[in-house]
Amino acid sequence: MNNRASRRISYSRRGHAVEREWRQKHNQGQWREAQETIEEEKKQDPVPRGTCLCMCPARELQRREAQNLLHRFEVLAGSEKDRRPRADPLRVVKEYARPAAGKDSTRPTDLRPPAVLLKTVCYLIDNIATSPTLQPWIDVYDFVFDRLRSVRQDMIIQRVSGPDCVAILERIVRFLIYASYRLCGEPLRLYDPRINDIHLQESLSWLLECYTRGQHPNQEEFQALSLLYNLGSGRATQHTMELPERIRSSSVVCLALSLSRAFMERNPVRLLRLARKLDFLQSCALHRHLQACRRDLLLIYSHGHSSRNCHFPLHKLADLLALDVRLTTCLCQAYGVVIIRDAVVFSKTSFTEPDVGRLQCPNFHELVENKQSGLTIGGIIHGCA
Amino acid sequence: MAHITINQYLQQVYEAIDNHDGSFCAELLSFKHAHVANPRLQLSSPEEKCQQVLEVPYDEMVAAHLRCTYAVSNHDFVEAYKCQTLVVQSFLRAFQSHKEENWALPVMFAVTLDLRIFANNAEQQLLKKGKGKQGDMLEKAAELLMGCFRVCASDNRAGIDDSKKWGMLFLINQLFKIYFKINKLHLCKPLIRAIDSSNLKDDYSMAQRVTYKYYVGRKAMFDSDYKPAEEYLSFSFQHCHRSSQRNKRMILIYLLPVKMLLGHMPSHQLLRKYDLMQFADVTKAVSEGNLLLLNEALAKHETFFIRCGIFLILEKLKIITYRNLFKKVYQLLKTHQLPLDAFLVALKMMQVDEVDIDEVQCILANLICEGHIKGYISHQHQKLVVSKANPFPPLSSSS
Repeated sequence: MNNRASRRISYSRRGHAVEREWRQKHNQGQWREAQETIEEEKKQDPVPRGTCLCMCPARELQRREAQNLLHRFEVLAGSEKDRRPRADPLRVVKEYARPAAGKDSTRPTDLRPPAVLLKTVCYLIDNIATSPTLQPWIDVYDFVFDRLRSVRQDMIIQRVSGPDCVAILERIVRFLIYASYRLCGEPLRLYDPRINDIHLQESLSWLLECYTRGQHPNQEEFQALSLLYNLGSGRATQHTMELPERIRSSSVVCLALSLSRAFMERNPVRLLRLARKLDFLQSCALHRHLQACRRDLLLIYSHGHSSRNCHFPLHKLADLLALDVRLTTCLCQAYGVVIIRDAVVFSKTSFTEPDVGRLQCPNFHELVENKQSGLTIGGIIHGCA
Repeated sequence: MAHITINQYLQQVYEAIDNHDGSFCAELLSFKHAHVANPRLQLSSPEEKCQQVLEVPYDEMVAAHLRCTYAVSNHDFVEAYKCQTLVVQSFLRAFQSHKEENWALPVMFAVTLDLRIFANNAEQQLLKKGKGKQGDMLEKAAELLMGCFRVCASDNRAGIDDSKKWGMLFLINQLFKIYFKINKLHLCKPLIRAIDSSNLKDDYSMAQRVTYKYYVGRKAMFDSDYKPAEEYLSFSFQHCHRSSQRNKRMILIYLLPVKMLLGHMPSHQLLRKYDLMQFADVTKAVSEGNLLLLNEALAKHETFFIRCGIFLILEKLKIITYRNLFKKVYQLLKTHQLPLDAFLVALKMMQVDEVDIDEVQCILANLICEGHIKGYISHQHQKLVVSKANPFPPLSSSS
């Protein structure tokens, strides 16, 4: 019964329903479920309250130690080489476990209260994500991603809301946005942008929902991030338009809206110009649209300047694309745009879409990269950059 | 009817079911009917009475309905919603057992319509008290409606006249109303597919088809498929009953922007007739190429446009406004080689902020790319060279 309850909560908590979820939901015995819902509500729906004061419940720690399932970031220093490494109680963090039939995930001793969850998130940022010694960062990401997921799960089961919830979600969102940029171009078996995106969208929509109640000092920042990350999405834009005037007219949201407008009007020149005004994390959020934006520019210019006698200065194009001449040349070649010495000869017939994988996005990161100087990962994710 | 006793009422229900009189039965279970205001029927525990007269599961259905009238009389919509859920659930059990007959469809229409309305009211009531989450109740109601939909859609055995499939479009319209309200438009897709592949799609009642096309049109609009959106919404507008002025106005709110985007401007008369003068300045601005006025008009009626969800599509009219503005520049200069500076001057006159010659090139290139201007830009000469024949093709022909 408890198990079922938790499953139901996790559904309703999730901000955006994917079609798959819809099907699952709708295939369950309607009648029976509605009946149960009513019964459950009669019992006043007891929400579990966690009592675990460590980052990892004792039971799990023992089990994982015994079964040799500790992550290398969780092992007690000095015992790494042992046949069965020991757990470092200060470093073990509860891992994500899929809800399954017959498993009780609502036991209070296995759940961490909000304050402990926030502490756990801070530990993951300060001691893992920022650590100069833990390498490679893809492993760091894997670990932090999984542990943050379990933090979210604990919050869902306990129906955590309020300032702690917001503080946690804000950090999760910043982490996932940063990761979407930093790990861009990693091989798919190591990093799957789609999965990162799903979790980012879920966390983001949960966060935005939290903002509808009470006052939140960082709201503007995240409304802007959400719009930039979802540039071109009618839903995200409509959401931003519907925000209270006070939030909508703040400078960050205004800038994000200008970018969104430039995107909708298909004005990449303006968009790339405005992009230079963004800060590092905002640029990370925008980063996944830059490729498409530069493509648009080449496409539009291929049509607009399509004449054999016309030449467009290469350095000028580089300037518009916010790239250097070398990368501009490389980009033009990929799209079939002809360059003769220092001049671009646009032609609508020669423009072609490049083969998948021909353009390596990380090669074109300069616009974002330049903004990172002087920032630490910790500062970025805590929001004090 | 309004003052009958519980026994009389139950007897009527019994007979309606016994005679398979769907419409009368529907009336007896509908909140549109006067009996719901009859205090003698508003009972908190009518179960026993119902059991004496009616068979399972009709007894449960009617008992829940009467409890629902009781809850409504107390203005307790949360309770009313719970009761109505039970009504629909018991109805569904009975409905499933009706093999190869569809007389109960009017009942389904009545009870599901009330379910959606109560879900809505219950949610408002909870939100007012600071409880519950927006969309929760409606989402649960949608699940139940889906249950009904599945029963209707999977009725493959009955002949066409007795098919429950005749109930599909009504349910889809109810579901659309919910999905649009809770902003889950992606859930509409499988429903649209179900109707597209149905051989009854052109035979449902006109009222249902008008509603259906209205929502499908809005959905297409949301997906930026403007041509189909125009078709659907036009159908809806043309076939909407002439006495339903309010509905016609609602359709126009979406049809107008789509039409405008495709180059058809509404007449002043039409706007006045449907009290949609908010569009008057927008129309004027777009046809005159007056960007400044367009921005002002959008800002002035921002709240209205945002609430209707059409602000974004109206912003897209900017592209057409650029075209019309640039056409004027062309008409003034009377040459086929137009200096880019002239366009910059025009944009600055319209107070477009921070605009420069690079952006002018970009905007022009975009218009050429979209087929709104025939010509090319020469960067060396800083000129737009336009075609001698028809440099600004009529809007309805391009894109």
